[in-house]
Amino acid sequence: MSKIKVVHYINQFFANIGGEEMAHVPAEIRVGEKIGPGLALAQAFGEEAEIVATVICGDSYFNENLDKAKAEILEMIKSQNPDIVVAGPAFNAGRYGVACGTVCEMVQEELGIPTVTGMYAENPGADMFKNKVYTCPTKNSAAGMRDAVKKMAPLALKLAKGEPIGASCEDGYMPNGTRVNLFEKERGSKRAVKMLLKKLAGKPFETEFPMPTFDRVEPAAAVKDLSKATIALCTSGGIVPKGNPDHIESSNATRYGEYDITGVMDLTEDTYETAHGGYDPVYANEDADRVLPVDVLREMESKGIIGKLHNKFYTTVGNGTAVKSARAFADEYAQKLLADGVDAVIMTST
Amino acid sequence: MDKRFIIITNNTMVRDEFEGKYQVEYEDLSYEDTLKKVRDRVQEGYKLLTHPLSGSVKPNETPYKSVMISAHPEKLDFQSLDIIERAIHSCGKFAFRSDKYRPEVYEDFRTIDFTLISSAIPSTDFLK
Amino acid sequence: MKLEMGHIFINDIQFGEVSKIENGVLYVAEEAVREIVLEDEKIKSVSFDIARPGESVRITPVKDVIEPRCKVEGKGGIFPGVIAKVDTVGSGKTYALKGMAVVTAGKIVGFQEGIIDMTGLGAQYTPFSKLNNFVMVCEPVDGIKPHDYEKAVRLAGFRVACYLGELSRDLTPDETKVYETYGIMEGKEKYPDLPRVAYVQMLQSQGLLHDTYVYGVDAKKIVPTIMHPTEVMDGAIVSGNCVSACDKNPTYVHLNNPVVHDLFEEHGKTINFVCHIITNENVYLADKMRSSDWTAKLCRFLDLDAVIVSQEGFGNPDTDLIMNTKKIEAEGVKTVIITDEYAGRDGKSQSLADSDPSADAVVTGGNANQLITLPKLDKVIGTLDYVNVIAGASDHTLQEDGSLVVELQVLTGATNETGFNLLSAR
Repeated sequence: MSKIKVVHYINQFFANIGGEEMAHVPAEIRVGEKIGPGLALAQAFGEEAEIVATVICGDSYFNENLDKAKAEILEMIKSQNPDIVVAGPAFNAGRYGVACGTVCEMVQEELGIPTVTGMYAENPGADMFKNKVYTCPTKNSAAGMRDAVKKMAPLALKLAKGEPIGASCEDGYMPNGTRVNLFEKERGSKRAVKMLLKKLAGKPFETEFPMPTFDRVEPAAAVKDLSKATIALCTSGGIVPKGNPDHIESSNATRYGEYDITGVMDLTEDTYETAHGGYDPVYANEDADRVLPVDVLREMESKGIIGKLHNKFYTTVGNGTAVKSARAFADEYAQKLLADGVDAVIMTST
Repeated sequence: MDKRFIIITNNTMVRDEFEGKYQVEYEDLSYEDTLKKVRDRVQEGYKLLTHPLSGSVKPNETPYKSVMISAHPEKLDFQSLDIIERAIHSCGKFAFRSDKYRPEVYEDFRTIDFTLISSAIPSTDFLK
Repeated sequence: MKLEMGHIFINDIQFGEVSKIENGVLYVAEEAVREIVLEDEKIKSVSFDIARPGESVRITPVKDVIEPRCKVEGKGGIFPGVIAKVDTVGSGKTYALKGMAVVTAGKIVGFQEGIIDMTGLGAQYTPFSKLNNFVMVCEPVDGIKPHDYEKAVRLAGFRVACYLGELSRDLTPDETKVYETYGIMEGKEKYPDLPRVAYVQMLQSQGLLHDTYVYGVDAKKIVPTIMHPTEVMDGAIVSGNCVSACDKNPTYVHLNNPVVHDLFEEHGKTINFVCHIITNENVYLADKMRSSDWTAKLCRFLDLDAVIVSQEGFGNPDTDLIMNTKKIEAEGVKTVIITDEYAGRDGKSQSLADSDPSADAVVTGGNANQLITLPKLDKVIGTLDYVNVIAGASDHTLQEDGSLVVELQVLTGATNETGFNLLSAR
């Protein structure tokens, strides 16, 4: 049987090109070369698989030229016709982690080739991609390379061979929202007793089923007198001035926009649109008030139902955007809203 | 007639056995649509009195479902809403096979659903 | 309360002229057991069979699995309030026939589940494949209601189990184990420094085919109460279930409750196993509120430090499980809960019908929706007629080669929620 063909994706740092100062380097492929972490991977693969090429891309280049970089990298990988693509490990490097996840997801979807990546649990890429791409948990720095490779290499081989993948705890990937059965060494009651003893002793224990957690927000106190209140509009539905001047991404947004609507009575087809890539944009583009109801609020303003509509709105795209990013956006603009004396916010979603 | 509660059902046996004794609202609906009918009532302020996933015969397996709700709408009961929403959601987990049984099996399904809802009746003794 | 359990190992079952146990072999006189079954006029006929581990045999639809036992010394008898007269059990001496079970099978309702495969992949999932099974398939008289039929088969199984258990009365056990718990003050004095732990067991109690009996009382009519953990070893709790095969507790599981046994392992070493609290899983929501209020109250009343909570069944009991957990944790008593999951065939759906962050320590018996392929086996005890339509069977259950594609939930005991098995999920 011929060896399994692996393409390895890494960033400029792990390719020994340089640090942040070299993060602008464009994507390149080095056929027949294994570089940096690729050496450790190759060793772990042994005779079963070989790294046929390494794709390298600067983190800034990837992020700032997302569509272009993706297309280039896809072509490079496709040219090698690999059985599996391994990206990273990215450890705690945020942009690198997101790049690894993005490349893996793209390869799976566009080429139907399985992929594995690895990163630290708190890398934003983990939250974004662990449910889509097999992501092995690693330590938070490159000191954890050996440990990371020990998990990633066997999982990559299994995937390349099309073998069934076991539960996350068996095959060393982050729980990905898909429940997989496994046989434990002890029966459930014994496991329960052991867990109980740990819980009693205040020691760390690991639940076999983490309860879904919901970020419940206590409703704020009611606005006493609407007719004197300043109301702001915010949305995760992606409404932006025509042309999307700040280039808010259609998915996995990394930023939000702040736009002035002083004197704007109505959002029209010519002036506003949606940047959102997760729903059919036709109706939002036709009349953005359908998502961000400026027209209605202006009407209420003129009738004196509300005091006034705040002259700025804040917007982002909720589509696949990491909860962490969304929280960071809101933390920031909530302060601005407070400083501007806004009493209440209407937040619309899609 | 005992008017302290309403039974929403798609089970003819429940309708026939309880007609005249209790307030029964029968409609020829699917299991899931019966739950949705209950949800609509809950949204109007009726309270759930029995668990919508009563019984271990799974949604999409048995076609029958009977749920007891309060006789009159009051304030929206969030616990009722939570339970009924989750119950509707769980219908999606089971492959639909309610139409695959031999005719005589449906009588058994009706019987089980009837006994499940009947088991709640004694508990209503002190319901106002 | 102290109970001495004598284990008699049964390595094989055979039909014989006279019922007896000799050199680890149980001989069963067919006519004698037939007579016992037919005592109930609702049963028209019965057939017996023996299924041994590794044999190419499939038993279906299974109703109950029962371990034969015999009360040798002490108050009461096996299955008090059901077979024996009502008397508090759990003390003295009891013998159990280990390595075997009486399995009742037969169609009570048309969608009944319950498969025990004695070999192949299915045997890895059902714990009862490891036992020598004495199987009885009961045919009811014509025109019987499911309600009466269920009861007749349930009781016939217990009568036969008691008859077989009785054969061990004069034998010397191969192994003896002693289980003892204490009164509240006594236990506190004996183990002043050990954390006080109890077992909260939720019993299925929703109606026909979903019932459990405690000393003969229908569990939906109880309020949560306290038992000595040894009481179940004499059959204080019996099953009246036969749907949702994978996560209902057959009587065998009640007799051999794994939480009770594993807590006893730690009793006096790392914990003080105070008691066994039982509660129910009624259909009526106010009953759920009351019962969970009471379990939490009892936990506090008994000054417990921690409890293990086990569940039985799907859907409706998830609500009881979460109510119990929330309220017990709110009393400052730590919990570990045991459940199973219905995460869909792809494992991507929400596993439980209720959830709460206070349930932070969960043991799972696995995803019951997982599909498995059961090979064609040479012999079927019972009938395959209904396998094609049982819950969890897929649209194309019966394959051309005779194998069956089914969800795990059709296998008796496969995702048991008292922690009976090795199966789990992540």
